[in-house]
Amino acid sequence: MPFTTTLRGCVAATLMILAAPVIAHAAGAHDGGHGGIHGQPATASAASRTVEVIMHDNYYEPEAISVRAGETIRFKVRNAGALVHEFNIGTAQMHAEHMPEMQMMVDHGVLKADRFDREAAKAMSKAMGHSMDHDYANSALIEPGKSAELIWTFPKNTEVRLDFGCTVPGHYESGMVGSFEFDAGS
Amino acid sequence: MTRITRFRAGVLAAAVGAALSAAPAWAGTYDLTVDRVRIDTGAFTRTGIGYNGASPGPVLRFREGEDVTINVTNNLDQWTSVHWHGLILPYQQDGVPGVSFEGIAPGQTFTYRFPIVQAGTYWFHSHSGFQEADGAYGAIVIEPATREPFRYDRDYVVQLTDAHPHPGSRIMRNLKMMPDYYNRQQRTLFDFLGDAADEGLGAALSDRADWGGMRMMPTDVEDVQGFTPLMNGKGPEGNWTALFEPGERVRLRFINSSAMAYFDIRIPGLKMTVVQADGQNVQPVTVDELRIAVAETYDVIVRPTEDRAYSILAESVGRTAMARGTLAPREGMEAEVPALREPPRLTMADMGMAHGGMDHGSMGHGATAGDSHVMPDGTMMQGMDHGAAGDAAAGTHVMPNGSVMAGAAHAGMGSDSGTHTMPDGSVMEGMAHGGHRAAPADRFYAPGSGLTPVVADGGRFLSYADLKAQKPLYPERAPTREIELRLTGNMERYIWSFDGVKHEDAEPIRLQYGERVRFTFVNETMMTHPMHLHGMWSILDTGNGAWNPAKHVVSVPPGTTVAMEVEVDAPGRWVFHCHLAYHMEAGMMREVIVEGGPEGTAVDLGAGHGHGHARGAGG
Repeated sequence: MPFTTTLRGCVAATLMILAAPVIAHAAGAHDGGHGGIHGQPATASAASRTVEVIMHDNYYEPEAISVRAGETIRFKVRNAGALVHEFNIGTAQMHAEHMPEMQMMVDHGVLKADRFDREAAKAMSKAMGHSMDHDYANSALIEPGKSAELIWTFPKNTEVRLDFGCTVPGHYESGMVGSFEFDAGS
Repeated sequence: MTRITRFRAGVLAAAVGAALSAAPAWAGTYDLTVDRVRIDTGAFTRTGIGYNGASPGPVLRFREGEDVTINVTNNLDQWTSVHWHGLILPYQQDGVPGVSFEGIAPGQTFTYRFPIVQAGTYWFHSHSGFQEADGAYGAIVIEPATREPFRYDRDYVVQLTDAHPHPGSRIMRNLKMMPDYYNRQQRTLFDFLGDAADEGLGAALSDRADWGGMRMMPTDVEDVQGFTPLMNGKGPEGNWTALFEPGERVRLRFINSSAMAYFDIRIPGLKMTVVQADGQNVQPVTVDELRIAVAETYDVIVRPTEDRAYSILAESVGRTAMARGTLAPREGMEAEVPALREPPRLTMADMGMAHGGMDHGSMGHGATAGDSHVMPDGTMMQGMDHGAAGDAAAGTHVMPNGSVMAGAAHAGMGSDSGTHTMPDGSVMEGMAHGGHRAAPADRFYAPGSGLTPVVADGGRFLSYADLKAQKPLYPERAPTREIELRLTGNMERYIWSFDGVKHEDAEPIRLQYGERVRFTFVNETMMTHPMHLHGMWSILDTGNGAWNPAKHVVSVPPGTTVAMEVEVDAPGRWVFHCHLAYHMEAGMMREVIVEGGPEGTAVDLGAGHGHGHARGAGG
């Protein structure tokens, strides 16, 4: 599935794309809030390199990734654990703001320990009046055994502290977070 | 040691171990002496019992996969024993006199030998007389063989106890003589007059009569008060302090080594991410407060980011005392210590079982969002805390399990607070759900229970329902047998038992190797009992199916039914008991015999059976 361009500020009411093994494609409502301070999504052709990230229970491998200012990287993320995990590029603040929504998905049985319950997601979307799809360009929510790709252009401003984290309740706090280290040369 | 350094050290050790493949990778020898010690809580001093000259005893540090040899030398003038709480080991190493072994005689050195087959936080204590209550306890920290599913920069053992100025034997004598001897919160005439003003004279009289008729006092949340709570051996004034650097993740290994007291733990200003319960990894859950039963352990990760002190508070559930320590960037700091909260009062809901069940359908139902309420068929529905559910009469709303509930179902429940007549003719008010504070429901407490945990400072209180195994220890399967155990007691005579039968009058529970037994505890008493099975895991039914967590202590609040399942895979003779020290001693224990086993491991149990806890002389 191609990555679509952003729909900043709009509430997307689309249903889940059921066939795909991964849940993050089109950008969603939450992507725009920080105006690109954390970078922006890109297309595969712009990527200068590919970085593989493996999700375990509950940590990433590797735990630190070097990047250059303005670089575009294609992340291939694979979940080798037994639980659902997220790969979410952003600042610690953005992760903290995303957590209540993830908690709500758990409370409503949408985000189960080892799978994403699409039926429950549909029901919750109906009740909430907007989509509970976890579709953000900077984030991939991946079930055990599945993989996803995320292509990201890092900002030119190297002072922003970016990391990749899992905001499934409890995971980030347990240490499921890795850092993007800007190369000294950038 | 940082995680990376520790990991590298582990890899190096593993490589060395593999090279010496003829011998086990690690085989440590540890020495413990059991001694008379001086206990100084800051509030009082007395003599007690400790290990290696102190109480609490040392923190024993093992590695998963290690073969340990522990020499225990008894320097007392009475028999002693050491039980390794939560450890899976051959039954002869379990340390229960009269069941596992004879005990350790005065002056004798007994050598325990067993392999460590698990990792996490555990503890050890005497299983003789009241020695544990008198100070004979310590901690066990087992490093895992593989990487843990959480990260931290430093860790601390935080071991709690309820040190009492009276020695355990004296407390037992007093309780037998007068069960409310230590219950300082007895209700007085003034309390009664206060109730009459609140509830009306008729209701207050009826309430008083009911309680009197049952020979219980509504304040029986703690039957032994007057203790000084200690954190790592220090009273609140002693201010045990753990250092951190701002931004670090700190692992706190909470152990409740009390004789009788449950604590509600919180660290104002810090959330706690629970990563282990009873030594087993759980799917991490972030809370603001948690209740730790006697003998339980909880490992949490906290991440203090500010350069200031934080108070670590453990407030007894009866609200009579509070243990206090500090997390600080430097020594000599302290943070605010809040006042004790109002003591909880048990309600008629906590008596549910003693009345043969209540007519739930006639109970009142308030429309407050967030309340739990009991459905007509007796099941309990969790309160919803999102606004949409508040006006139930309006639209539909989505239940936590994804099904959609029609709004009309709520309206049909009726909102009158129905009264009903008790067997003795007195009239009991219905549960006015709308009236009582909207404590978020915890389905492990009776609906309307006075013990339902409430967060002190807002946020979330951990419930057993939140505990899910990070990686299930056993595959899920249906139980092959069910055993129901009623938790019973007579407070006036301070007798505690199962099914009305005390330990000394009971037959052992016999299990067969290979079974999966579902134990259902029906609590017919007014107290919360922490049930502890030796030698095998208790897979607590938290409603999470395959993710139900393995624990070694299952706490059962009054008026509730709680179930756990046991994969019977440890041959031999074990015990099973309420871990409240004076309840166990008063008869709330059973021997458990596991018959059969794989070729060569089945134990020859011989004819007849021992009488369980043979106490050493002097008790």
